[in-house]
Amino acid sequence: MRSKSLKSFLYYAIVTVLALIMIYPVLWLFMSSFKPSDTIFVTSDRLIPSPWIWDNYKIGWEGIGENSFGVFIKNTLVIVVLSTFGAVLSSAFVAFGFARLKFFGSTFWFAMMMMVLMLPSDVTLIPQYIIFSKLHWLSSIKPIVIPQYFGVPFFVFLIIQFIRTIPYDMDEAATIDGCGKFRLFFRIILPMVAPALATASIFSFYWRWEDLLGPVLYLNKPSMYTVSMALKMYLDSETVSNWGAMFAMSVVSLVPVLAVFFMFQRYIVEGISTSGLKG
Amino acid sequence: MMRSISWKRHLTGYAFISPFVIGFLVFTAIPIVVSLYLSFTSYDLFSAPKWIGLDNYDRMFNKDPKYWNSLRVTLIYVFGGVPLRLAFALMIAMLLNAKARGIGLYRTIYYLPSIIGGSVAVSIMWRNLFNDEGLVNMALNALGIGSVRWFGEPLAALWMLIFLSVWQFGSSMLIFLAGLKNIPASLHEAAEVDGANAVQRFFRITIPMLTPIILFNLIMQIISAFLTFIPAYIISKGEGGPLDGTMLYSLYLFRRAFVFTDMGYAAAMAWIMLLIVAVVSSVLFASSKFWVHYESKGGE
Amino acid sequence: MKSWFKALTTTALAVSLAACGSGGGGKSESSDAGASGSGSPSASAPADSGKQVTLRFAWWGSQPRHDYTLKLIDMYEKLHPNVKIEPEYANFDDYWKKLAPEATAQQLPDIIQMDLSYIAQYGTKNQLVDLKPLIDKGLINTADIAENALSGGKVGDKLYGFTTGVNALNVDYDPELLKKVGIDKIPETWTWDDYKSYALKAGSQGLYFDVGLRPEVFFGYYLRQNGKTLYSPDGTQLGYDDDSLFVNFFGMTTGITKAKGEPAPDVTAQIKGVEDDLVVKSKAISNWQWSNQYIGLQSTAKRPLEIAPLPGPNVEKGMFLKPSMYLSIAQNSKNQEEAAKFIDFFVNDVEANKLILGDRGVPLSSKVKEALKPLLTPEQQKVFDYIAWVESHSSPMDPVDPIGAGEVASIFKTYDEMMKYNKITPEDAAKKFREEANAVLAKNKQ
Repeated sequence: MRSKSLKSFLYYAIVTVLALIMIYPVLWLFMSSFKPSDTIFVTSDRLIPSPWIWDNYKIGWEGIGENSFGVFIKNTLVIVVLSTFGAVLSSAFVAFGFARLKFFGSTFWFAMMMMVLMLPSDVTLIPQYIIFSKLHWLSSIKPIVIPQYFGVPFFVFLIIQFIRTIPYDMDEAATIDGCGKFRLFFRIILPMVAPALATASIFSFYWRWEDLLGPVLYLNKPSMYTVSMALKMYLDSETVSNWGAMFAMSVVSLVPVLAVFFMFQRYIVEGISTSGLKG
Repeated sequence: MMRSISWKRHLTGYAFISPFVIGFLVFTAIPIVVSLYLSFTSYDLFSAPKWIGLDNYDRMFNKDPKYWNSLRVTLIYVFGGVPLRLAFALMIAMLLNAKARGIGLYRTIYYLPSIIGGSVAVSIMWRNLFNDEGLVNMALNALGIGSVRWFGEPLAALWMLIFLSVWQFGSSMLIFLAGLKNIPASLHEAAEVDGANAVQRFFRITIPMLTPIILFNLIMQIISAFLTFIPAYIISKGEGGPLDGTMLYSLYLFRRAFVFTDMGYAAAMAWIMLLIVAVVSSVLFASSKFWVHYESKGGE
Repeated sequence: MKSWFKALTTTALAVSLAACGSGGGGKSESSDAGASGSGSPSASAPADSGKQVTLRFAWWGSQPRHDYTLKLIDMYEKLHPNVKIEPEYANFDDYWKKLAPEATAQQLPDIIQMDLSYIAQYGTKNQLVDLKPLIDKGLINTADIAENALSGGKVGDKLYGFTTGVNALNVDYDPELLKKVGIDKIPETWTWDDYKSYALKAGSQGLYFDVGLRPEVFFGYYLRQNGKTLYSPDGTQLGYDDDSLFVNFFGMTTGITKAKGEPAPDVTAQIKGVEDDLVVKSKAISNWQWSNQYIGLQSTAKRPLEIAPLPGPNVEKGMFLKPSMYLSIAQNSKNQEEAAKFIDFFVNDVEANKLILGDRGVPLSSKVKEALKPLLTPEQQKVFDYIAWVESHSSPMDPVDPIGAGEVASIFKTYDEMMKYNKITPEDAAKKFREEANAVLAKNKQ
């Protein structure tokens, strides 16, 4: 009994110390958001702000130009939610095809998919921009959101690897029960890879949230700008930057991402419940 | 009869992967072909590309020391950073896989650094941590090692980037965590009944069952490390300094493409990068036969 | 196989690269239903006044600039109810990221804020309109503007950018810190020799004299003092033949760096913004920069700072007025005349300039300058006075930076750092820099 509590004490000690190291820079960011903008760098060696001010939040929330920061959050949420939904669903679908079905050309298409991952996107950016221009999609969220509905290579590959950890006898049992491939996918496989789907959702949400290039290229109207664009607009290399507002709004913009993480990480944990199926 | 069944099989396969195939053909195939074509041209973005054959490749391999420097820097970044990051991620995932109280909170804390990712705030913060009066140098001094000129020594600056990537191990950790959770508890229970201890179970069950996920993390982390761009951009203000010490391949490629509007050359660089990454991942894929354990061997 | 491949690439290129000229509309949702969107085909009819026109206006900057520019747009829309102006703003880096693909897709905004370092590129590659014909038509009034002040927007013989205001190089210094090292003030007639002795003096007392001189800018000035230029007039090679100028200049600056009169490059690399500028932190006496940056530095330092000209001899030959930025009109704009009218408002209207207050450089129009005088803060007044001084102590600017200047500057920076880190002698650096810079600039031949 004693050794057990010692063990648990040790466990928490290690986990806590490591966590403190991990979080120190984040804490610095958080504290800096309460410092007057022009003292942030001069007092960067002190964690606790003095004086402690809220102005950065107030000024930062007023936003840029005629749009408050709330507008940017709303814009970003729309893009992110639509994208994540499409990315996770379509990727799972495609992944099942690659992981469980044998068909002519599957290796070729898998190789194509990996190629998309490996080719630096800088060189495809201009032709892609022109395609979206021809489709009359510029100055809208379409070029950012719609491609997400066609399978995102990273997530496809991720879900493939998870599907391949699922014993094959599951499929056979289902097939004997008269399940077609589509029902097999929706009824059996999808629930089994819930942890992977939750992981993909967290990533997709966060990647779209912090994505800067897409919005910079495709959103022209300030009323459509996203959080990542707005955060950079507090800064200007030529004149005075509003560091305080930038830090404050960086903190604010962490909240939705954290919330999503906290919500979805439960599914990663509870994913095991499906293993009961194997029993 | 046989034939119609196999037709149906192919069709089902394509039905499932159709989103990718359609998206690929509409959005990516043409740009990819165009970029390959551009790699044989001189193209400044604004006027029509001019065919120059293999000149870009010749210049790259024989006349551009900055190219070789960027490749060297990137290789150090990849092979220094990825193993560290993955080892760290796996270790923390194992720690956090326990059923302990408040574990969700800890998970969030460890993931937090990865959420602030490539934002401006993180670059400011990281630069601040490593500057002359920063916490890192304070700690090094206290340990009697003496401070390091992180912004003056090319190699030190590169390690500053590698540490950033290690600190942001959250995404790999999360994938490991999901993988660990996907291992059926029944396997562990059975092994326990057989009298295997924790260490034995780790090597006989956890690691083999996790190999598909390890393969995934390894390949994806290597690809993304090769293509890393944003941290170098935000730490050296996009200039790759000091003395090109953080001029990662992608950063150099970006500068050639958009700062110096030398898109033809950038396209050539991109295709060589594709080749390098493809070779590295093919080797890993090929080796996976020997060490990756799949419950299912992939289809009928 | 081969022909298949060829067919595919040709189609691909036809689709993606030869987009020019078709003028496909990218504005799928024009906010004003009645407005003929600038990108939409229906707008191809000439826009005479009275017709509904939508203009896209893009600029970079920070929050205060966005705020007043939006007010300025409101003001213009009230005066011209038929014109709707869609603002597109970003910070400097993102701005250029966005502009490049827009140019290739022929989707540039009608009115573009342009920078000295990009105007040659965008101008000579047929992205911008020559403003001269529009001025001749009387759409932009230049009556109150000195003729040669406008030439800063010329590339070859075409006027691709209308200068919104001018800057000049200056030395912003803290007089109190200067006194600390035993120097009373920086005299208007000081020389490089004075600079050297001041800097060494400061260094020996643990203060930096300056925060580093950007090589392409200040060596460029030094060359002008000696009757040379950094780039040849046609931009195909360096504009000086004598490497001893290079060796003298960088021999001096590296010597000063080694004597701690100037911070090592890794110290400057740690600076994140004006807020932790070494002058603001009282670790350096002066910052050598453009005159418009004085206001930001002063307001952050919250101490009196003085402005001094650059060292002589031959200040008049070295000094010049630099266009702070330009307004340009896109070649693909369907409403070039309306765009020109807006530029006219921007540079000539007194009420508009009361909003701008010199943020985009000291205005060119004498009328505007006169009207702004009572509104300026003492700091702004200082900058205006300095520019007035430079006007009579300068010579015309070199031709705009040639294409490739950005790459040359980055090569320059690397060699500057290497010299300061003792990795190369100024003699060798001079040779290597010449080789590499000329290789870049040679591409402008043909």
